[in-house]
Amino acid sequence: MSASLPTGRAERDPASQAVRPARTRAQLLLGPRTVIALLLVSAVGFVAFTWPLLASPDSGLAHASDAPLLFALLLPLLLAVVLAQLAEGGMDAKTVAMLGVLAAVGAALRPLGTGVAGFEPVFFLLVLAGRAYGPGFGFVLGALTLFSSALLTAGVGPWLPFQMLGAAWVGAGAGLLPGRLRGAGELAVLAGYAAVAGLAYGLLLNLSFWPFAIGTGSSISFVAGDPLVDNLGRFLAFTLVTSLGFDIPRAVVTAALVLLTGRPILRALRRAGRRAAFDVAINFSPTDDRTSSAEATAPHAGAPAHGEPRDG
Amino acid sequence: MTLRRPVAPRALHPGAWWLWALGLATAASRTTNPWLLLLILAVAGHVVTARRTDAPWARSFAVFLKLGLVVLAIRVVGQTLFGAAASGNVLLDLPELPLPAWAAGVTLGGPITDAALAAALLDGLRLATVLACIGAANALANPRRLLASAPAALYEVGVAVVVALSFAPSLVTGVQRIRAARRLRGRPDRGLRSIVSVAMPVLEDALERSLALAAAMDSRGYGRRAGVSRAVRRRTAVLTLAGLGGVLVGLYGLLDGTGPPWLGVPVLLGGILVAMLALRSAGTGVVRTRYRPDPWAGPEWLTVGTGVLAAAGGVVTTVTAPGALLPDPLPLTAVPLPVMAATGILLALLPAWGTPPPPALASTPRRDDASRTHRPAPSTSTSNSSEVAA
Repeated sequence: MSASLPTGRAERDPASQAVRPARTRAQLLLGPRTVIALLLVSAVGFVAFTWPLLASPDSGLAHASDAPLLFALLLPLLLAVVLAQLAEGGMDAKTVAMLGVLAAVGAALRPLGTGVAGFEPVFFLLVLAGRAYGPGFGFVLGALTLFSSALLTAGVGPWLPFQMLGAAWVGAGAGLLPGRLRGAGELAVLAGYAAVAGLAYGLLLNLSFWPFAIGTGSSISFVAGDPLVDNLGRFLAFTLVTSLGFDIPRAVVTAALVLLTGRPILRALRRAGRRAAFDVAINFSPTDDRTSSAEATAPHAGAPAHGEPRDG
Repeated sequence: MTLRRPVAPRALHPGAWWLWALGLATAASRTTNPWLLLLILAVAGHVVTARRTDAPWARSFAVFLKLGLVVLAIRVVGQTLFGAAASGNVLLDLPELPLPAWAAGVTLGGPITDAALAAALLDGLRLATVLACIGAANALANPRRLLASAPAALYEVGVAVVVALSFAPSLVTGVQRIRAARRLRGRPDRGLRSIVSVAMPVLEDALERSLALAAAMDSRGYGRRAGVSRAVRRRTAVLTLAGLGGVLVGLYGLLDGTGPPWLGVPVLLGGILVAMLALRSAGTGVVRTRYRPDPWAGPEWLTVGTGVLAAAGGVVTTVTAPGALLPDPLPLTAVPLPVMAATGILLALLPAWGTPPPPALASTPRRDDASRTHRPAPSTSTSNSSEVAA
């Protein structure tokens, strides 16, 4: 649930190379190195999104033509590095399978959104899965969902790295929400987060698209080195013209979807996470405290689902 | 160009197509010369028609062309409505709308000049051409094979994507199955209310399958890593953090522009290099052989080489004759055609003949059926699972 798990155990404890720690959920452990790598990549990603607002006039990036290309090539490398680091921190078969299946669900949901203005059904799944399985899982799921969707539709373009990073942030942020909430309060917080995240994603993607879409010639283009407020005003005008009509409905729809479907989906995800605890550490030393947790979870291990409602 | 002997059909390495297309896209992104851009469009279009397959992704070239037209339209409309006052002959004088104070600096309406319109058109054409090059890569490269040649460090992530790609089609059949079941029971299978009651069983089914898949993968040694020494782990971590930090500092230097010159591009390039080394170092923990690796032979080198030459022609012309790449668009008859850049772009036409023809789809490719959960990653196979718990 939260990042305060037995972090970095595999890195510190040489014995854990043979016996992995027992886990109760299909989630990703975040060691300190991984957290730092995530923060660094997020900082670079932040610059990749907001450079039109930050660039000074005599900087090498001030002309609009080079920077989008640079970031479109740079971000995939950085995403690969941080995903490799996350995988090294502990990505076992359960996590891989759960990531793959949920990314498939998200990728299958995505074409539903193309027909209706502003309806982007991926986000509510990202928010709920990030909430159920933690920030690391949410980050990877966000990136992989958009990547798989692009591969399925053969839509790999310069926008893809930005979308991957934005969706990864949405998933990771959901995992960072306060962990103790349950019930109606949890749903309300998640719905509020989903609305804000949907809106922020739209604005960020817009920001990355801004120099592409309008160039430097018009009065709503960015001017390198202008005061932040002036550039922000022009950006808001650009957003108002192009995509605010999509962004606000998307935020509302995502929040409504979380409210409507959050409870059963969260329950299903958490249940699957508990049932994925077949990876108990078998330990023959009686003094180890991990034995008790192994016994507690072992009876559920891989138990077939009897009498579950398959429909309705 | 004649071929001495008939070449057996085979799919070119997808990475070669991507590098070729990125080379062309680089050439396109450096110029607003309409002749060069149209030449690039023609070259990409010809190679796509010559070497694409009947696969679903081969249609994406047209999709990207349409997207390019949309971008072109946005550019021109944006310039028309929000264009700041520019020099040139006024074609049309739109009434200028007064805007509230918070939108200071934004103009709506006003005169449209031919020079501003031509500049917007050419800039839009440049973006559309870049998009067309990316679309050519999408159309020519098999995305699954590209995934199979991902770096070793991304093995687990790659497996997850393969699972997602294989599983997505079966989700659709799952939805159809559950809707059919609801119809048979006389319950509504359309409308807002039925969406939740169809979606939940589909999701439960998906999670169920993921557990079965995880159990199958776990028992066959997926998700295990070879024993990595602490030294290698530490080296990977140091390289990762140093590379990412270098990239961040380099970007800061580039954006700021006032610091010492070494703080910008050199630090950025160093960071990128170190990050690549980190990726390679992380891959040492994955000891696996590749199943049926895609060959990288002469045609691949030819394809990549012509892409690089196209980009190089553009870059060299930037130095020797910068005016020819970013010409004054009016009058159009006076726009020169830089020979060096044009030759480089024309060379990128060679893969249309110099590569083996793609295999016909008569022999149906192996389906990556998600129901065969015991083989989650058909394109890779484990050779080593030395680290087995307990």
